[in-house]
Amino acid sequence: MNLGHFGMDSITLAGSLEAKLTAVRDAGFEQIMLQARDIVGNPGGEAAAVAAVRASGLRVTGFQVLRDFEGLSGHLHDYKVDIAKAMLDMCHQLGSRVLLACSSTSTHATGERSALARDLRKLATLAVPYGIRIAYEALSWGRHVNELPQAWDIVAEADRANLGVGIDSFHIVAAKTGLDALDEIDPAKIFLVQLADFMWQEAHTFEERIDTARHFRVFPGEGVHSEQVAELVSRLDRAGYRGDYSFEVFNDDYVQLPLPVVAERARRAAAWLSRHVPRRSLPARRLRARGS
Amino acid sequence: MPAAERLPEPSNPLGIDGIEFIEYSTSQPQAFGALLQQMGFAAVARHRSREVMLYRQGAMNLIVNSAAPAGDTPALAAIALRVRDAGHAFRHSLDLGAWEMPTRAAAMELHIPGIRGVGDSLLYFVDRYRDFSIYDVDFMPLPGVPRDVPALAGLHWFGVVQTVQDERSADWIDFYRHLLGFSELPEGKYFGVLPKGTLMESPCHRFYLQLLEPPPGAEDIHWDEGLLRVGLGAPDIPAAVAALQQRGVVFVDHGAVQPSDKGALTQVYLGGVTFELVVSRMKVAASTP
Repeated sequence: MNLGHFGMDSITLAGSLEAKLTAVRDAGFEQIMLQARDIVGNPGGEAAAVAAVRASGLRVTGFQVLRDFEGLSGHLHDYKVDIAKAMLDMCHQLGSRVLLACSSTSTHATGERSALARDLRKLATLAVPYGIRIAYEALSWGRHVNELPQAWDIVAEADRANLGVGIDSFHIVAAKTGLDALDEIDPAKIFLVQLADFMWQEAHTFEERIDTARHFRVFPGEGVHSEQVAELVSRLDRAGYRGDYSFEVFNDDYVQLPLPVVAERARRAAAWLSRHVPRRSLPARRLRARGS
Repeated sequence: MPAAERLPEPSNPLGIDGIEFIEYSTSQPQAFGALLQQMGFAAVARHRSREVMLYRQGAMNLIVNSAAPAGDTPALAAIALRVRDAGHAFRHSLDLGAWEMPTRAAAMELHIPGIRGVGDSLLYFVDRYRDFSIYDVDFMPLPGVPRDVPALAGLHWFGVVQTVQDERSADWIDFYRHLLGFSELPEGKYFGVLPKGTLMESPCHRFYLQLLEPPPGAEDIHWDEGLLRVGLGAPDIPAAVAALQQRGVVFVDHGAVQPSDKGALTQVYLGGVTFELVVSRMKVAASTP
């Protein structure tokens, strides 16, 4: 593997969108995973943010994150549909082909599988005119869906071409899901893979997971589960996954370090993974780059 | 406890019953109108307040909208579907994930609900087509022009061709299948002279959508998603071609798409407009009252 297979998440970096784009590009990456805050928080406005992204030459890996969408009813559902539409609109403007939707943490959400599948179908249909695919990710503290196999079951039940799963190594490791779960998933239905490690051996409770996930992640090669992260990438590669990998490293220290320093750590993580993941000599897949 | 009865979904949940009208938008209504006349359409009415014209041929209604912002090349802007209950069709579609059509200069002042389709196009739902003409509300008949225009060589709506991005056919198949009840025809079943892409049949079996991905090796072609052209059905293609040629329509006459018994394709007009003829013996419903 090489640097071309990996990208950075903007959430890992402090500063302005423009500074993030520059740091990621200067570290040699070709893609960046963006978050809504990059766009709506841009001092120059949304259009300027979109223009900066397009001018950077970086490919947008995906856009995050739609939260707590599925399982609601009545006015809560209607409200979330409006939010989803706004997210899809921004995602489209940025030229991103993937919207990340995380499993719901809402106490108001049902866990009934058919209802979750129905809502994800609706989200997928909303995304079709925009040419966007939905990557549904099991948050390890999701209320009803908190492990990858559950997310996959619902995606399979929903059965929409532009609906797949997003995989985040943090949640797999934190929830101790076990990598055999990957064997059950059609690699063509994995729309995004985010990679991170963390420093503790375990994160038992939901509270520990939330705290760790939001403040103490590190890059692969820096934490105590990196061999497992490398194994995850190896398995996905062997299974035929050819989509993107992005480093999603929420870390309070990294957002107070100079951007080139953090981007260099990301570059080292890519190099570390490339050494630890033997890969067949296949080119990095340019995911639908033509249409973007 | 009784097991939940699993009934199949109705095959035509919206009661789709053909195409009520096709709408084009253009900033060149005169030039496009002349082309439509060559194709056998005749202008029959003018919008009461906007620069919108109604053309007709046989059972086909075609609206040319130059009130909305549009480019020089006439673009297919909307398909109006006949449905059992437009309000129901609209709500049902929104429930399943359709987008309400954006506010813009709609061709009609009469409230016609619509959803966003591919690209900038719209899908309207019309339920008043049996005993009432929606056109009477918005349009003034042109003086001295008969409201019915005989169809040239039996021409009727056959379908619409849509471009899709690479590897996106499955997404659009899901869209049309689940929102509108279209079904995918088996691979290899084609009509006409352009046997490509994916064909979907309307639940009323009266028209088709053809989804076209960019051809292999076309990485450098600019390929947007949108409605590309209409297909017109005719029972006898050579007769239809001859009738249209007599009116000055030029058909592509070489390569795989030259006129045959199966179909024909016109040359490109006005920077991007084509019409396709497809052999079809479909029974054509009577024109709008």
